[in-house]
Amino acid sequence: MIRFILNGREIEVEVPPHWTLLRLLRERLELKGTKEGCGIGECGACTVLLDGMPVNSCLVLAPKVEGRRVETIEGIGNKESLHPLQKSFIEFGAVQCGFCTPGVLMSAKSLLERNPHPTREEIKEAISGNLCRCTGYQQIIEAIEAVVNHLKRETI
Amino acid sequence: MKYVGIGIPNVDVLEKVLGQARYGADLPSESPLHLKVVRSTKPHAKIVEILTEEALCISGVERIFTAKDIPGRNLVGTITKDQPVLASDRVRYVGEAVALIAAENPEASEEAAKKVIVIYEDLPHVTSPEEALSIDAPLIHEKGNLLLEFHLRKGDVQTGFKEAEVIIEETYTTTWVDHAYLEPDAGLGYIDEEGRVTVICPTQNVHYDQKEIASLLSLPLEKVRIIQSTTGGGFGGRLDLTVQGFLALATFHLKRPVKLIYTPEEVFQVISKRHPLKIRYKSGAKKDGTLTAVEVDILGDTGAYASYGPTVCIRSAIHATGPYKVPNVKVRSRMVYTNNPWSGAMRGFGVPQIAFAHESQMDILARVLEIDPIEIRLRNALQVGYETATGQPLMASVGIGETLKKIRIFTEEARGGRKDESREPKIKRGIGVSSMWYGIGYTGIANPSTAQIEIHPEGEIRLFTGVADIGQGSNTIALQIASETLGLPPDEIQLIHADTGFTTDAGPTAASRQTYISGNAILRASKDLERKMIKEASRLFGIGENDLFLEEGKIKSRRAPRISIPIKEIAKRCGTVIRGEGTFDPETTPLDPETGKGVPYATYAFATHVAEVEVDMETGKVKVNRVIACHDVGKAINPKNVIGQIIGGVAMGTGFALMEEFIPGKTTSFVNYLIPTSKDVPEVIPIIVEDKEPTGPFGAKGVGECALIATAPAIINGIADAIGKRIYRLPASLERVLEAIQKRKMKSP
Repeated sequence: MIRFILNGREIEVEVPPHWTLLRLLRERLELKGTKEGCGIGECGACTVLLDGMPVNSCLVLAPKVEGRRVETIEGIGNKESLHPLQKSFIEFGAVQCGFCTPGVLMSAKSLLERNPHPTREEIKEAISGNLCRCTGYQQIIEAIEAVVNHLKRETI
Repeated sequence: MKYVGIGIPNVDVLEKVLGQARYGADLPSESPLHLKVVRSTKPHAKIVEILTEEALCISGVERIFTAKDIPGRNLVGTITKDQPVLASDRVRYVGEAVALIAAENPEASEEAAKKVIVIYEDLPHVTSPEEALSIDAPLIHEKGNLLLEFHLRKGDVQTGFKEAEVIIEETYTTTWVDHAYLEPDAGLGYIDEEGRVTVICPTQNVHYDQKEIASLLSLPLEKVRIIQSTTGGGFGGRLDLTVQGFLALATFHLKRPVKLIYTPEEVFQVISKRHPLKIRYKSGAKKDGTLTAVEVDILGDTGAYASYGPTVCIRSAIHATGPYKVPNVKVRSRMVYTNNPWSGAMRGFGVPQIAFAHESQMDILARVLEIDPIEIRLRNALQVGYETATGQPLMASVGIGETLKKIRIFTEEARGGRKDESREPKIKRGIGVSSMWYGIGYTGIANPSTAQIEIHPEGEIRLFTGVADIGQGSNTIALQIASETLGLPPDEIQLIHADTGFTTDAGPTAASRQTYISGNAILRASKDLERKMIKEASRLFGIGENDLFLEEGKIKSRRAPRISIPIKEIAKRCGTVIRGEGTFDPETTPLDPETGKGVPYATYAFATHVAEVEVDMETGKVKVNRVIACHDVGKAINPKNVIGQIIGGVAMGTGFALMEEFIPGKTTSFVNYLIPTSKDVPEVIPIIVEDKEPTGPFGAKGVGECALIATAPAIINGIADAIGKRIYRLPASLERVLEAIQKRKMKSP
């Protein structure tokens, strides 16, 4: 039995010790928004936030999240109230097949929480662990930049 | 126009950003059996026996299928039916499916797969097309190792080369490239409420899948249903069957839900690849750069099975001249079986490979003749009225010249930027230009699409299309076209797509054909509905049909402006469903088997790319700083999606140029198959040219594959510009670039 905070709510769940966090999320908790792309930490489709930091959930053993904070795509926004990044991804055409999208959004969210005013290079770096085969990344980078610029305006 | 030409967000984007879209592995099912495929470890061998007893003893294993369990024809393939779903008597490549496990849990099916013993008798295997064509080569298929030989002839090349003042002859080689879509193939099989064997999975063509499965199971077509799940990319890899055959076979026998998820390594091993082509290319030109003749010899490796090998063989030959006027042309193209991984459709069907050759040739000519690379292309660019190498007169929408003119300013700007390269002497900068053309749709064969749109008495409007949206946005474009015709916003039209239970054949999401061909079918269906609504309104209100027209979802009268009746109101008064239907098949003719003469495509898309590259002379590392990509798409129905295709295509083209190489037996996963990351891709400046195609929906042609074709040759030409040496084999890896640099050093005194 492990206890951790999932998308802001404390949960308690039974999980075999060899299960990965990805498997726990997808198979036990039915959170299918986190994707399994390569299963070996190369593609970033399974990115979730662990205590605010992006991790490949396919490489994290489930028991390791005991007492920690896990955020997934299901926790960042909903139909009625989208996260600014989600809105921006829609507006900028940053989504094609969409398989990488949840992972990219989680990496971007983590970046903006740690560094609200990243440069274009820092954005590229932050999502460099998330492979995307459709978009060529440019609209993704533009979508993140637009949120950054919006945040800048708000702080001024 | 209100809905066409606007970059509205894709209709399925909300569920994707919320993580709610359901891909193959996400589909819900009540206690399904888990499937696992047992695969060949031999490149070429007879199957003597398959021993399953030990595997069947594993707790949880329900059943093990072999070829004997296939009730129908165990041969599939889009053009040539030569590929078994489960190998029966022999295997032809490492990874070929030989047995299928169904078990209560994934662990049991995996364990059982390891315990199946296949007794093989090794056969000599073939690893190159040259070897496959030798007289004493082992036969991979009974009919011989030559899958197809295609010839194209125009004028007389001997005369053409005599007229030439410069002749360039070189050989270009490309290798296997993986689609590398991120979603591993996966899906569900079950018997639906109407008793149909049903498969839901990622795919690029549900109706093709349906026909293959019906034939495999010896079932009538209507007893098989294929539904496309949200599809995590395709790029051609999902035009052939992936998981469909296995899911359908197990469902058919077990009458229970079954689930199959390929491992990521399995996807790399067993999904088709881009065909490696070896291209010998001879060009003749006058001193002013005008081409007088080209002679091209293409040799391709289709691997163990035909798949789209014939298409690549023919399409690469037809596109061999590039988008240029060439009076004398001779092309021989051969596609050969080997025991290598099988190659199939991949974004461009051989055109990215042939463009690498014709654009390298053009660049060499420009250098030898000291003509600006844009100028030499402009002098040769196809124009309206010119006859292509197949003898097809181009009637309209030939935007190649326009793309060259529009992009010229950027090459001048880039040259200006090169002047300050002296700061870091080990870095050399270069600029490369490349153009391309691409025939929209299948080559010289019928490839129709159908669509329907209906309005219900309750006011509901439903658009039916068999088109598989694989992320490029065809669902959105379908709605934009219907919306424009009916004058109603897309959110008032319900789209039913890519489910053989409800939709009719739209053909494959391939050959950049869906906007042009299915777009036209949808346009015609919408126009048909418009006519029928006018007719109904005329009958209901006693006004002549000629006086009525449709605007903003209302039937209005020219003479009596106060008459304005919503079509939903008309449908309500009629009390029955009113249905518009549309079919479109591009006007093509078959190609002459001797000369290749004919009309292979109804229309062509054109593009020019300019790449700005930097080469590190010490490491051979190439950095692409910027690509300007100018595309004649006819009309951008959704400019945001067109730009999305262009930028994504440039990224894939960058990978093709610099890093992507599948090595049989070595490449296993994303660990050793590198695709561009956010740090590897150039900045892209997309430019859209709209030279309208009169037969296209609102003038549209296509862009999907076109986006990638010109990028790699532009980068390769940029490298040549930077280091003064040329790369003839893709990818231009660090080692190859360094080797080229060192060759120069050795040669120079």
